[in-house]
Amino acid sequence: MGAVTTTTSVAPSAPETTGTARTSGRSPRDRALRASRWVPVVAVALYVTVPVLCSVAYAVLPGGSFSLAAYSVIGDDASLAAAAGRTLAITGATIVTLVVTLVPAVVAVHLWAPRLRPLLEILCTLPLVVPPIAIAAGVVALLRAGAQQGRGSLGNQISQFLQSPDLPLILVGTYVVLCLPFTFRSIDAGLRTIPLKAMVEGSTILGSSIWGTIFRVVIPNIRGSMLFSVFFATALCFGEFSLAATLSQQTIPVWLYDVSSHDFRASIAIAVLLNLTTWALLFVATLSADRFSPAARAARAEKQLQKTTTKALAS
Amino acid sequence: MTAGLTPQRSPGPPASPRAGRRRGRETLGALRHPATLALLPLGVLLLLFFILPIVGMAVIAVTVTAEDGSIGVGADHFLALTSGSHSQAILNSLQVSAVGSLIAAVIGTVTAFCISLIRSAALDSIVAVFSSVLANDGGAPLAFAFIVTLGNAGLVFSALNLDATGFSLYSWQGLVVMYQYFLIPTMVMVTLPTFMGLRREWREADAALGGSSRNFWLRVGLPIAAPALLGGWVLCFGAAFATHASAAVLIGAGGFPLIPLNISSLLGQSPSSQPVAMALGITMVVIAVVVLFLFNRLQRRSARWVQ
Repeated sequence: MGAVTTTTSVAPSAPETTGTARTSGRSPRDRALRASRWVPVVAVALYVTVPVLCSVAYAVLPGGSFSLAAYSVIGDDASLAAAAGRTLAITGATIVTLVVTLVPAVVAVHLWAPRLRPLLEILCTLPLVVPPIAIAAGVVALLRAGAQQGRGSLGNQISQFLQSPDLPLILVGTYVVLCLPFTFRSIDAGLRTIPLKAMVEGSTILGSSIWGTIFRVVIPNIRGSMLFSVFFATALCFGEFSLAATLSQQTIPVWLYDVSSHDFRASIAIAVLLNLTTWALLFVATLSADRFSPAARAARAEKQLQKTTTKALAS
Repeated sequence: MTAGLTPQRSPGPPASPRAGRRRGRETLGALRHPATLALLPLGVLLLLFFILPIVGMAVIAVTVTAEDGSIGVGADHFLALTSGSHSQAILNSLQVSAVGSLIAAVIGTVTAFCISLIRSAALDSIVAVFSSVLANDGGAPLAFAFIVTLGNAGLVFSALNLDATGFSLYSWQGLVVMYQYFLIPTMVMVTLPTFMGLRREWREADAALGGSSRNFWLRVGLPIAAPALLGGWVLCFGAAFATHASAAVLIGAGGFPLIPLNISSLLGQSPSSQPVAMALGITMVVIAVVVLFLFNRLQRRSARWVQ
C-alpha cells in the first residue's frame, strides 16, 4: 500500500474535477489542505499493512537473522499435509457443488420463473446474516440427533457418512451455503447483462439440449461471474474456522490453532502463507469480476477502436 | 408452464378417471420441466444444510423437558441466558460490537470522504479491491497477526511500550482494535459509493445560492449520506457481533465470554447443556435478522438519491 502515495496522478478521464482546485496557481494553504486528505488514507493503509509485516518478520527473522526454519514444518509434520489435503478436497467438492447447483437455478429463474427470483434472492442472502457459529450449532444438533439413534441405525450411518474425515460432506454443504450470498449476486448480475433468452432459443434451434446450452453457451458468457464465484469459494474454504473447529474437522485453519500451543512460530509461518493466499484469491476474484464485466469489455473495445482510428488517421 | 399446452379442466362434477390421468400427467409434466429440475438441487441443498439446522436449533431451544419427563414448549432455556456467564457474554458482545462498530464507522466515513475528495482513478480501484478483500477477513490468521503485533511480546507492543498504558490485546480493547481490521474496510466499501455519488451540480447549486461549504454539508451532503452512514454502521455492528474465528483464536475459551465463544464451548460440553447453546444461537440469528432488516431499509432510503 506504500505505493499508493506515489500514484497521485489524476486520471486523464476525470471531467468532474472541480475547477478551482485544479488551477495551476495554488496557495500553500490550499496545498496543505490537499495533502491533509491523504492522512486518513495513509493511516488506514499503515494499520492494514503493519500486522502483516510483523507476522512476516516474526516468521522469517527469528532472533534477528533471516531463516526459513519455521517453514520446515511443511515437510516434517504429516498432520499439516493431511490437513492441506483435506482442505483441498473440501474446496474442490464445494466449487463443483456450488457451480452445479447454483448456475442452473439462477438460469431457471431468469428463463422460466421470474416470479421465484425474489424468493431465491432472499434464501441466498440469508446465510450472510446468520452467523456461521449459529449454523454450526444447528448442524451439531442434527448430527448428534442422528448419532443417538444407535449403532448401525440409518441416522447414525448418515451422521457418520457426513462427517467422514476424508471428505466431510457436512462441511462441503455448509460451505456452499456460506458462499451463496456473494456468488448468487455475482451470477445474477452476470445473467442480467447477456441476452439469455435469445441465446437459449438460438442454441435450442441449433439442436442443443438445455444442459448443453447452459454449460457451452451460458457459462462461457458469464466468465467474470464464474471466476469470481470460484475464487471466492476457494478463499472461503481456505479460511473458514468456526464450522470446521466446531465439527472437529482438522482443516488448515484448525491445524493452525492446534499447533499454535506448542509451535507458535510454525503456526505464524503457515498463517502468513494462508493469509497471503486468501488475499491473492480474493484479489483475483474481485479483478475478474471487474475485468469480464460488460462495462469493462466495452471500455477496452473503445480504447482499441480509438487506437486503430488514430493509427489510420496518422498513416 | 406446460399447463398452457393442455386444455383447461372443466370445474364441477368429480373428475373422470381419464381427467385424473391427465391431471397426473400435468403434474408429471411440471416435474419434468427443466425449471423444476434446475431448481431442485439448490433447494435440497439449502433445505438440508441451512433451513433444517436452523429449524432444528429453534425446536431444541424451545423444547422443555418437565420434571415428570413430559415434553413441552417453554422459554426456560432463554431464561437461563439472563444470568451468570451467558448474560455477561451477551453484555460483552454488545459492548465490543457497539464500541468497535462506532469507531470503525467514524474512521471509515472520514477515510471514504477523503478518498472521494482525492478523486484519483488509481486510488479508487485499489480501494475498491482492497476494501472488499479485507471486509471478508476475520479468520484465524488475523488473530495470529495481531498476537505477533500487539500481543504481550508483540513487535509494535514493545516498540511503543504499550505495557505502560495498560493496554492488553486479550481484553475487550484488544478485540475492538482487531475488529477494526475488517470493520473499517466494510465501512469504506459501503459509504464510498455514496460520497462518490454526491453530485457536483448540487454543490454548485448550493454555491450559486450563496451557501458556504459548511452549509452544503449541513443542509445537503450529510442528510443525503446519513442513511448510508447509518446503514454501514449497522452492518459493522452485525459483522462484529457475528465474528467468532479471530476472537476464538485470540481469547480462547473462558477468558472473556462472548456469545459465539460461549456457543462453541457449550457444544463441547455434555449434551444437557446443548439446549442453552441453541437458545444462544437463536438469539444471534434474531439479532442478525434485525440488523439485515435495518440495513436494507437504510440502503433503500439512500439509494433514492444516489445512483
